[in-house]
Amino acid sequence: MNDMRLTERAVDSKDVKIAARKVQVFYGETHAIKDVDVDIDDKTVTAFIGPSGCGKSTFLRCINRMNDTIDVARVEGDIHLDGEDIYNPKVDPVQLRAKVGMVFQKPNPFPKSIYDNVAYGPKIHGLAKNKAELDEIVERALRRGAIWDEVKDRLQEPGTGLSGGQQQRLCIARAVATEPEVLLMDEPCSALDPIATAQVEELIDELKQNYSVVIVTHSMQQAARVSQKTAFFHLGYLVEYGETGQIFTNPKDSRTESYITGRIG
Amino acid sequence: MSDITATDAVPSAPRKGSLLEQDARTKRRNAAETRFKMYGIIAVTLGILALVMLVVSIVSNGASAFQQTYITLEVDLPEDRLDPEGNRNRDQMARVSTFGYGPLIGEAMEAQIAALGIEIEELGNPGDIVSKEAPAQLRNFVLANPDVVGSTVTFEFLANGRIDGYMKDRVTRATALLDKNVSPAQLDLTDALGEAGVLEKRFNWAFITAPDASGQRPEAAGLGVAIVGSFYMMLVVLILALPIGVAASIYLEEFAPKNRFTDLIEVNIANLAAVPSIVFGILGLAIFINFAGLPQSAPIVGGLVLTLMTLPTIIIATRASLKSVPPSIREAALGVGASKMQTVFHHVLPLAAPGILTGTIIGLAQALGETAPLLLIGMVAFVREFPAGPPEGFFDPASALPVQVYNWTQRSDPAFVERASGAIIVLLIFLVIMNAIAILLRRRFERRW
Amino acid sequence: MPTLWLVLIILALAAVGYVVGRQRALASSGGNAKLLHSLPSYYGANVSFAVIIPAIGLLILWLLVQPAWIQNRVADMIPEGAIPEGATLGLVMSDVERVATGLNLAVEQGAMSEEDASSIRTEFTDVRQRLGEVGVALGSNVDAPVLRAAQRYREMSATGNTWMTVAVLAAALFGFVSSLAVTKAGFRARNTVERVILIMLMVAASIAVLTTLGIVLSMLFETRNFFQQYPWTSFFFGLEWAPDFRGNSNLSIIPLLWGTLYISFIALLVAVPIGLFAAIYMSEYAGPRVRSVAKPLIEILAGIPTIVYGLFALITVGPLLRDYFAMPMGLGESASSVATAGVVMGIMLIPFVSSLSDDIINAVPQAMRDGSFGLGATHSETIRQVVVPAALPGIVGAILLAASRAIGETMIVVLGAGAAAAQFDRGLGELVNPFEAMTTVTVKIVSQLTGDTDFAAPETLVAFALGLTLFVITLGLNVLALYIVRKYREQYE
Repeated sequence: MNDMRLTERAVDSKDVKIAARKVQVFYGETHAIKDVDVDIDDKTVTAFIGPSGCGKSTFLRCINRMNDTIDVARVEGDIHLDGEDIYNPKVDPVQLRAKVGMVFQKPNPFPKSIYDNVAYGPKIHGLAKNKAELDEIVERALRRGAIWDEVKDRLQEPGTGLSGGQQQRLCIARAVATEPEVLLMDEPCSALDPIATAQVEELIDELKQNYSVVIVTHSMQQAARVSQKTAFFHLGYLVEYGETGQIFTNPKDSRTESYITGRIG
Repeated sequence: MSDITATDAVPSAPRKGSLLEQDARTKRRNAAETRFKMYGIIAVTLGILALVMLVVSIVSNGASAFQQTYITLEVDLPEDRLDPEGNRNRDQMARVSTFGYGPLIGEAMEAQIAALGIEIEELGNPGDIVSKEAPAQLRNFVLANPDVVGSTVTFEFLANGRIDGYMKDRVTRATALLDKNVSPAQLDLTDALGEAGVLEKRFNWAFITAPDASGQRPEAAGLGVAIVGSFYMMLVVLILALPIGVAASIYLEEFAPKNRFTDLIEVNIANLAAVPSIVFGILGLAIFINFAGLPQSAPIVGGLVLTLMTLPTIIIATRASLKSVPPSIREAALGVGASKMQTVFHHVLPLAAPGILTGTIIGLAQALGETAPLLLIGMVAFVREFPAGPPEGFFDPASALPVQVYNWTQRSDPAFVERASGAIIVLLIFLVIMNAIAILLRRRFERRW
Repeated sequence: MPTLWLVLIILALAAVGYVVGRQRALASSGGNAKLLHSLPSYYGANVSFAVIIPAIGLLILWLLVQPAWIQNRVADMIPEGAIPEGATLGLVMSDVERVATGLNLAVEQGAMSEEDASSIRTEFTDVRQRLGEVGVALGSNVDAPVLRAAQRYREMSATGNTWMTVAVLAAALFGFVSSLAVTKAGFRARNTVERVILIMLMVAASIAVLTTLGIVLSMLFETRNFFQQYPWTSFFFGLEWAPDFRGNSNLSIIPLLWGTLYISFIALLVAVPIGLFAAIYMSEYAGPRVRSVAKPLIEILAGIPTIVYGLFALITVGPLLRDYFAMPMGLGESASSVATAGVVMGIMLIPFVSSLSDDIINAVPQAMRDGSFGLGATHSETIRQVVVPAALPGIVGAILLAASRAIGETMIVVLGAGAAAAQFDRGLGELVNPFEAMTTVTVKIVSQLTGDTDFAAPETLVAFALGLTLFVITLGLNVLALYIVRKYREQYE
């Protein structure tokens, strides 16, 4: 660590998992994220809310460097994971993403069997020494994804044959299988029906025992239901960040209040 | 969640190593990544390399076909041998065959050698370094201008193919020793004549304008008939394939109901695009020549066969460009009371025209290079006569550019390899021009809705 | 009257009809176009169509039927005895036709009077010599029945042509008059004209079907002739290809098919890895600038005529493989070989594999890649384990299409593979040696049909059986490939 200021902060808040300072994101000429500072705690569900196009998903994709896959995207500022700068040139994004898993807006199971979908991550990262161990990891992940009972008899069937909600839980199981430390979820319920949404939300609540979960959501009710901390984004700025209860009941910023009461959206 | 019980819950995920150091596995994976990317680069390079090799091979073999060695000689045209009756009557003079003219060239050559003071042993008949085409050239000139008999005229003759090969470094003294068609002495003579300026290499217009020549005289072989034949065939293809293709596309894209018959047509078009070209040749032979009784080797038959081959290309391109015209244009026209037919012909078709033209040119370019079906309908025949002007010329025997290439590859004289490669260069130039026009059209008229 | 003139007259009549029809429609509404049902030009077009379509249709029909009909009638004139030993009626009839054309030519050039042409007799005139003078070379002397048949042929053609002219002109005039008769203000000219145009469009669209039908029928017909002279079991299951123009040929497809498949296999061995990796590189790794240069360059390979590849094989690749591989390894001394044709054909197929695979890889949704990257997979792991498996059906389709191209390819093998059929009795070593010259189905179709043999001999007709087999194989591959690709496209739509 050569940045003294950040070392200090890492010392005084042990529970901070991810620390972002002055993050800027540009898509070509567009300045999508402006000066975002945020500390995300371990073993907590943090919700990013805000109107469409406010930059919440973009910021989420900075945390595991998914923006690297977009040619025109450029990220400035610092994001530290456990005190290590993830944009340090020495960092291999592949290793980073093994630590910071991601679940996407639309369920995107691979065109493989259910088993292979979940086993994919452990295989590429070499987490299992043999078949038995892999079987165990797959079962554990599917159990933690709360889908084991539904699929245990048809593990060799294609993952694309499941219903939308099942597919999304499969994707969560797939992300969990690589034993990440942080789980990023980009509107994981937007493509699901209410029952499936309830199942996924329940799952998120369970997951926070082990992971730091960051969830981007469109639905304020969902943020209120699942998260402990909430960040409100507007026009690329992080407007307000705090305890979920405080944000929803007593917002400090007038823009947050307008959004929560439905005047901007 | 029933699945997760307290005992099942795993304690916090074990902390992994620092992000700043790559573990051994990541290093291995990154090495695999680099290798994989290298395979891709190698594949692309190989593809481009193949193209470069192809072009270099053809150009290096064929570029010399555009140059030809000529010998300038002053030939005496004695009356007693060319016009024994002395009345300059063309019909009577025609009785003297090319054998009567041959010796004149030999004598002119000897005179030239003597005048330059060249002395070479074991030369044999010095006239042999002149093309066997020369006596015919001389005779034709004399019969066309009977008055020159009795005078001395300066002529430019083609050099023999081997001498030409020597000027282009294809024939050397070492190969000449083994070759009964040329001797080292003749090569010495060639050098001497070259120094004297009597023999020189020049741009070879005749290669493009002259007709084919027999296997013994590669130096005289040209592409004239083949170019005319190919041009006639392209004309036939354009006249037939464009309207039929456009009409078929309009029907399928704008009018066809969704039924079995339409499906059948669709499947047929997709398949025809992939049927081996030789099968179209069999079709041409069986239907157009044996059944309909059209003449063999005629551009009309070639054109018909190529039309059938080109139709799928034109139909696919036309349909794509009809599809790209937005429905709002059709609705606007229908909205002001135009009939469906008027809408299509007044509004949709003009907007789709650039795309149709581009597709047609690309289809024509494909047809121009097609060889196999033409072999079967008899276009391999040796044709020296230029076909008449259209439309009668469509029924006269002709050759075609790619078939001429094939024809020349089948001849034994190695000089024909140069000719064949040269012919390919001409063919490729035509293709490049056609494709360039297509690309320009697309650039110029491309519309984004 | 020459057909060309007849066509011109019909067209002229149609043009007149257009003007008259238009005027008549206007006149019927008192010169006020608004009172007409359709625009005046539609009335004109209606008359033109009524003139052209029946007349030209009749003309085409007549031209197709008349020669066959006359031939039939004239054939009756040739007695059994006039057919020489070893010839068929068909051969004699083609002699008859040639003499008839010769007589026509002689009259045209003034070498013979019209009267002479119809009255000369073999007893008094050397017909062969007189026709030779006008440039019609005949293979043998003309005997009396043939000459008489030829003269009859001329007479009948002349009469037939006269009747044709009369009938076609009558049809044109009838169309002209009858369509003018209905031309009134209330007549729905536009609807009629549009219906006619629609039918013409339909006919144009049906040509694709007719072509396929023509291909199948023409080959089926001659193949049937072939199998009447040569047992089909020997064709499909024999092991030897040895045509002998004195008869008693062995004409089995197996040795040719072996050559075809072996060469295609080598071609795919070259084209599939290169094409696939090139497609992967260009769609997944290459930046827009590299892509914009490399992709068109590789696609140029697809636009180069196959004769160019053939020459490339003949003058460059063949000698290269022989001098640097075959001779040092002692595997052969021929520049034409399976490897030569296979490698060059492989180069030709690279763009087929690469452009189609490129499209298909691009059609794999980005979400798949994101899912894999999100799990910490490297780019190559994502491609190998997610993208390629997802695109596999499409890639298989592309490879099948390339295989179909390879099997049907002609010029490269004609110039690069050699003319000797695979010989099964010489042992496996020679069969699988890639530096051995070997011939293919397409090469033999060309050589059997361009030879000088009698068209009715099995040695010639075998080409049609070969062609039909080739057509069926490639058709099967194409249909399968198109089906797979279409299924694949539906999956991601």
